[in-house]
Amino acid sequence: MEINPRDFREQSEKACHDATLRAVLDHATRYFQAKRGAALETFADRETHFARARAARLAALSRLPELLEQLEQTATAAGTRVHWAADAAQAREIITGIAQDCGAKVVVKGKSMVTEEIALNPALEAAGMEVWETDLGEFIVQLAGEPPSHIIAPCIHKSRADVAALFRAKLGLLGLSGLDGLPGQENLSDAASIPELTLLARKALREKFLAADLGVTGVNIAVAETGSVILVENEGNIRMSTTCPPVHVAVMSLEKVAATLEDAADILRVLPRSATGQKMSSYVSVLTGPRRPNEQDGARETHLVILDNGRSEVLAEPILREALLCFRCGACLNSCPVYQTIGGHAYGSVYSGPIGALLSSLLLPAQDTRDLPFGCTLCGACKRTCPLGIDHPRLMLRLRERVCQSSGTGLAGAAHSFLALHPLFYRLAVGAARAVDPNLDLLPRLPGFPGLANFVDTRQPPELKKPFSAQLLRLRKKQARTKKPHTNKGDA
Amino acid sequence: MSSANAREGILATLRAGLAAAPLSVPAPPARPASLSVGPDAWALLAAVLEPLEVRLRLAATPAEAARHVADIARERGAASYARWADLPAAAEMDAALAGLTRLEPNPSGCCQALARADLGLTFAQAALMDSGSLVLVAGPQRPRSVSLLPPTHVCLVPRAGLVADVSALPELLRRHAAASGAFPQGLLPSCLNLITGPSSTADIELVLVRGVHGPGALDVVGLDWDLE
Ligand code: SF4
Repeated sequence: MEINPRDFREQSEKACHDATLRAVLDHATRYFQAKRGAALETFADRETHFARARAARLAALSRLPELLEQLEQTATAAGTRVHWAADAAQAREIITGIAQDCGAKVVVKGKSMVTEEIALNPALEAAGMEVWETDLGEFIVQLAGEPPSHIIAPCIHKSRADVAALFRAKLGLLGLSGLDGLPGQENLSDAASIPELTLLARKALREKFLAADLGVTGVNIAVAETGSVILVENEGNIRMSTTCPPVHVAVMSLEKVAATLEDAADILRVLPRSATGQKMSSYVSVLTGPRRPNEQDGARETHLVILDNGRSEVLAEPILREALLCFRCGACLNSCPVYQTIGGHAYGSVYSGPIGALLSSLLLPAQDTRDLPFGCTLCGACKRTCPLGIDHPRLMLRLRERVCQSSGTGLAGAAHSFLALHPLFYRLAVGAARAVDPNLDLLPRLPGFPGLANFVDTRQPPELKKPFSAQLLRLRKKQARTKKPHTNKGDA
Repeated sequence: MSSANAREGILATLRAGLAAAPLSVPAPPARPASLSVGPDAWALLAAVLEPLEVRLRLAATPAEAARHVADIARERGAASYARWADLPAAAEMDAALAGLTRLEPNPSGCCQALARADLGLTFAQAALMDSGSLVLVAGPQRPRSVSLLPPTHVCLVPRAGLVADVSALPELLRRHAAASGAFPQGLLPSCLNLITGPSSTADIELVLVRGVHGPGALDVVGLDWDLE
């Protein structure tokens, strides 16, 4: 499926009319907000912990180049091979190369937005490999051939009956046999319980983990002083992907570095609580280099791919670089009235919700993302929710400015801004315009004003007030109508 | 463009960005005081483990610890087990689990071998009272998969390992790196896992299910004596 933020308007319009989607989103966003709220309520010194996590992220950005160099050096000393990728194509090439070098046939992947961002799966598949998403939600959307719809819960848009139907149709591809104690996949009914479905996926993927030649994951935090990568998860699929296959590739977007173990600990204090309302996620792995001599499991060969893909340019932007603080807890998505209404798919990119609109605008081609910063009510719920204190609305406004500077509304926009600042001129101008065009619907078609159509197109002038005589007439009619039932009452 | 060129380009852009718009970081507030580890530490740990459906059993002696492990194995219906080689009270454990088959991890196919075990027995370097996280450090005698592949994971937690929260982790890691002869100086262990409750997912209809890829059951045995 081709996804592109270019269609954001159209897709959001469509999503608004999808009643099922609305119900699912309502349920999911409330569920996450309730869990998170309960966890934060009992989190002593919450604001101080938030401030420390923000400081750890800020410190990383303020020293980004030197920390990345240090990370390269420490990770190399621990035995990890470090690669730098300027863009998605280069990252795909590097990872495909590693996979080919180790003769990989089966690749297992832990949930990672960044490998989604670089469209890794199709590249590996094109090189003849079998690629499995192993996070349950990602596995389900992979089988369905859809993109994930939420950072934390990729398949919230699917019901258990959908999943049962999907497993019935697609799990045969995995060549599974002997699922003792479970209904065979052909007679898996729509009423199969959620634990049954989960167990089925566990068995299917267990075989893949044990057969895999390569595990690919993202990175939650990379520690510059020790060369470690830290991975956070609940299912255990990321542990499996780094424990069983002989080779592990970790892909990090370059801002995910932390200077010290202390900074990483400050981040770990906050991230799980903000993401899922857990005090700590089920599994946090701190991995430093490949397995050592005499160790019996863990990858023998470890790689770290440091990906830029547009991020380094953002560091020069004093306002916009705040977006690079984000550690993807997903909390701002659930708090956003726009996300609650349209969901993740409408954004047309891996990243959705408030932070998604910002990241996509910063990382993807400008002509594809011009609508994203406008899909925002500036209500500020995201800003209040974000544990790292990212001021999304401020960034959104800055992006709008950028879009407007680069599009053709210049003259009309300047004229409007002058008029808006001078009420007297405004009244005169509007009065004059209304005199020739009472409903202002000819305005967009006026020739000779570059960008005017573009500017007026998205704005609606207030309707003219009806003359008093017409208002009076309507009022009388209304009165007559409301009287009627009253008089009828006695007849009933 | 090669990876080396990419490196130079990325670092140059980052440097130019920071030079054009320097980023100053205000000093963060002091880290709030941690929970203190007092005589009620076991009770605190038990209370935070409970909502995770993890039961803490306390043992005053190696024999009692072994009895707990045998009870757990029976309750979970385990017929085979795998364990870390250098556990405290290892001999007692093996004696108590004599009715079960012990599976040995072998370096060529460690995961394949351990995938058949019903129960994995490990030892935590520390436990975080704030979150109920068990801190496991992998090593030559301590395969990572013992706490991951079997459907039941039993973890021994020594009294001296009780610490407040994740802020204790850096020091623990450094101590480990410095003390362990097996690792080059200053190098962290290859793998440290924080384990907090059983493997879990809520990906289908947001319904919580335990045991999706890792163990669905986690049991903790507290070793309430001084290990030498
Ligand atoms: S912007 Fe803040 S709230 Fe949103 S995902 Fe990132 S860290 Fe979480």
